[in-house]
Amino acid sequence: MRSCSIVVAEPASAHRNLFRYCPMSTIEITGLRKSFRAYQKQEGLRAAIRGLWRRNYREVEAVRGIDLTVEQGEFVAFLGPNGAGKTTTLKLLSGVVHPTSGTARVLGHVPWLRENDYRRRFALVMGQKNQLWWDLPAQESFRLHQQIYRIPPDEFLRTRDELTRLLQVENLLSQPVRELSLGERMKMELIAALLHSPDVLFLDEPTIGLDVVAQHNIQQFLKQYQQQRNVTVLLTSHYMKDVAALCQRVVIIAQGQIKYDGSLSGIIDKFSQTKVVSLTFAEGRMPERLVEFGVVLACEPPKARLRIPRNKVTQTLSTLLSQGGVEDVGVEDAPLDEVIADMFAQVHDNKSPTD
Amino acid sequence: MPAPILSAPSLPAPIVPTSWSASWTIFRIALEERLTYRGDFALGTLMRFLPIVTQIFLWHAVFTAVSTPVTGIAKTVAGYTYEEMVAYYLLTMLGRAFSSMPGLSSGIARLIRTGEIKKFLIQPVDLLWFTFLSRVAHKTAYYSVAAGPFALVFFLCRGYFPPLPSAATLLLFTLTLLLGFLLGYFMEVSLGLIGFWWLEISSLIFVYTLLNFFLSGHMFPLDMLGPEWQWLVQFIPLQYLAYFPAAVFLGKITGAALAWGIACELIWIVALVGLSRWLFHRGVIRYSGFGG
Amino acid sequence: MNSRQTLRPQSARPAYLAVLWTMLRNSLVRDMSFRSNFLIESITSLAWMMMNLGFYLLVFKFTRELAPGWGKYEFFAFLATTMLINSVVQAFFMPNAEEFSEMIRTGNLDFALLKPIDAQFLISLQRVNWSSLSNFFVAIALLAYSVWKMTTRETAPLPLHPWMLMAYPLYVACGVAILYSLMISLAATSIWLGRNQSLYDFWFYITNFSRYPMEIYEGQVGTPLRLFFTFIIPVMVVVNVPARVISQPLIGGAGRDVALGPGLDQQFLLGFALLATAGSLGAARWVFQRALTSYRSASS
Repeated sequence: MRSCSIVVAEPASAHRNLFRYCPMSTIEITGLRKSFRAYQKQEGLRAAIRGLWRRNYREVEAVRGIDLTVEQGEFVAFLGPNGAGKTTTLKLLSGVVHPTSGTARVLGHVPWLRENDYRRRFALVMGQKNQLWWDLPAQESFRLHQQIYRIPPDEFLRTRDELTRLLQVENLLSQPVRELSLGERMKMELIAALLHSPDVLFLDEPTIGLDVVAQHNIQQFLKQYQQQRNVTVLLTSHYMKDVAALCQRVVIIAQGQIKYDGSLSGIIDKFSQTKVVSLTFAEGRMPERLVEFGVVLACEPPKARLRIPRNKVTQTLSTLLSQGGVEDVGVEDAPLDEVIADMFAQVHDNKSPTD
Repeated sequence: MPAPILSAPSLPAPIVPTSWSASWTIFRIALEERLTYRGDFALGTLMRFLPIVTQIFLWHAVFTAVSTPVTGIAKTVAGYTYEEMVAYYLLTMLGRAFSSMPGLSSGIARLIRTGEIKKFLIQPVDLLWFTFLSRVAHKTAYYSVAAGPFALVFFLCRGYFPPLPSAATLLLFTLTLLLGFLLGYFMEVSLGLIGFWWLEISSLIFVYTLLNFFLSGHMFPLDMLGPEWQWLVQFIPLQYLAYFPAAVFLGKITGAALAWGIACELIWIVALVGLSRWLFHRGVIRYSGFGG
Repeated sequence: MNSRQTLRPQSARPAYLAVLWTMLRNSLVRDMSFRSNFLIESITSLAWMMMNLGFYLLVFKFTRELAPGWGKYEFFAFLATTMLINSVVQAFFMPNAEEFSEMIRTGNLDFALLKPIDAQFLISLQRVNWSSLSNFFVAIALLAYSVWKMTTRETAPLPLHPWMLMAYPLYVACGVAILYSLMISLAATSIWLGRNQSLYDFWFYITNFSRYPMEIYEGQVGTPLRLFFTFIIPVMVVVNVPARVISQPLIGGAGRDVALGPGLDQQFLLGFALLATAGSLGAARWVFQRALTSYRSASS
């Protein structure tokens, strides 16, 4: 709470005036931190009874000092293991929760001041929660959104029709939400969030639990929508496919900190410690002990695939080639999924990873 | 609509006997879960005594209004002295601590409505046994916290009670409390299982609560009602939830009437166990055929 | 498409009335899609009322009056007022208070905080349970019947003054506001206490003290209770004040002034009720804001 109070103390209008004349990024975050107390449930019955009188709290540091700048029109993916602080970051930027310290500006607004002007200009979609009225057709919820966001009627109808057409749910508008499938419901959630044409969109795992087809549809929609309107999007997802299909820029968060910020392909350069070498040997010339050269991924004579530490690739290859009998050689990067999974696992095992 | 998890539409309700160790785990987890929400708990126990306070004040006002004009002759109302009336309300509190099942039927109906019930249908756990254990655990947790306030209130109000009844009566009183628990449990479970057929059963629950409130004896001693109502009281099982134990304690029901009452209560319990089993069985068949 | 910000209407205030209207409408659409349920609910809440009435008829079989000034029809007017106020609270605020606790548990409160509109407004009025209003009309009928009985009886008929009819709705509104404040404050506590299953129970227990004329609370226990539930948590004001307005002679209600002790007469209560209403609404706003603040700094 300490340093954020400095931000809160400044009048909101000062920011707006200040930033109106400065070239500014859509999202600017510096030193953002968020910790909270979580009730620690003790194992066992006796501990639970003791918990009636005295509770143990655990200080959870969800976000520990994030610096990030996002320009208008960027589509940024937040990747990270569960509990890395992705969702918390999105909630901080939506002003739903208050930071422990640090500053953030989205569209020139400090999110946690929760000015109506700001709240009209962004949207948050959470794949695991729904905000539509369960027992009502989605269009009734849309109408309520129209009123809450004060969307002029003609603009409302235009946007709604466009979105329903793009997502192909025109005929589901008058069906109670509880009767929709998960994928259809997610589409409706997206429409509800986009009705007021937000300039910034926060998407928290929008494709979670969806089947491949529904996932693909939503990806296509998001891609098209973002390109057409040039809105700024922050997306968290577990699915690499979402990220690969949509985002030019990837931010990897683990343990509340940014571990990587750059392009998708750059991840391999930075984090992949190994390369995969494919070898084809001449008849009967395959060495007996391939293990000496690296981790054997596959071995179907005359072909073999080895994983070799990066810095040893040249050395190993020259040894192999000098032995003779190698007919074909290929060197590839390790697959992205694997690199990222390895990295998460590494971060998980090692509590203070090298930055 | 997601694909139905139960592929065979005619799959019967999985009545897998749950092992004792599994049962103990279920019980323990439910108890722990219950104790996690301590604020809820403490408030709930404390507040539970407030309604009878207003009720006692109402009767106090009635006894005062009745007694003053005729120099204190009319000391009883409907056969109850003021002291007995107070004791009656306190005893019904005890009865209801056993027989009321807050959130049970609505909880079951919600499981069905949200589809969460699938969890129980695919796991080798019998839903009815599971909820029974959870409820016993909830009640145990409740008593462990509520025993203190109950003891205190009863001690403070000891002047209102008649001399302690015989050991046999006390034993029968305890029996009626335990039977009240079973009766209340199976009534609410059966009610909740109707959720298989009706999407929204909140109004049904309301009717039950309403009848329960007035015809269990919670609101007033049921023998205050004239003979034109007695047939209804005797015909439905609600009196066993509050009136019956209290009346047994106060010595208003004795001998053959007492034996007959307990027999009727047992018959009701057996019938309701059967009913809940049957409803669950039919409900699961209907649910899986429906495709959830 | 890049300069879309300029297209946005920059109206400063959210359209509260339009939002309210849409929420009322949506709730009606919802209630109507469960039509049989709606009907059953209306009937059952009527049954509830009838049963209550039955109980008090039973009580009046044994006595002529509950307390000085509260004979059968005075008390029935009191009962009608209770039902009137409760029906409004149950229709408009009860479902929302329950939903609020649920929103905290599931985290859906986040969505309410995102909206460019006052969170308390949105949360307090999102859902309306229209069927609860059926009691409203029956309560009016019961009130009319009781007043008619009181004004036309042989001994000490009630002199009906136009002022009574004007002040009555005002004080009913005050009662509703006090109950609303209490309810939303209770619901907000689930942010600190975790799941608040006994919210409804707690509510029921507290409001129990509003159900009877305050005169019946006397003696060693009664007087402190009456003072507590009048001045600390003003639930006794909720029904008592409007019920007195409609059922007691405005001037010269014999023996009525002693009920609260010296200085606490009818006029005092009329003024105090207004004060209590304003205080309750303010306190509820404060609790609500505090709860949200702590939600926003305590959750992730």
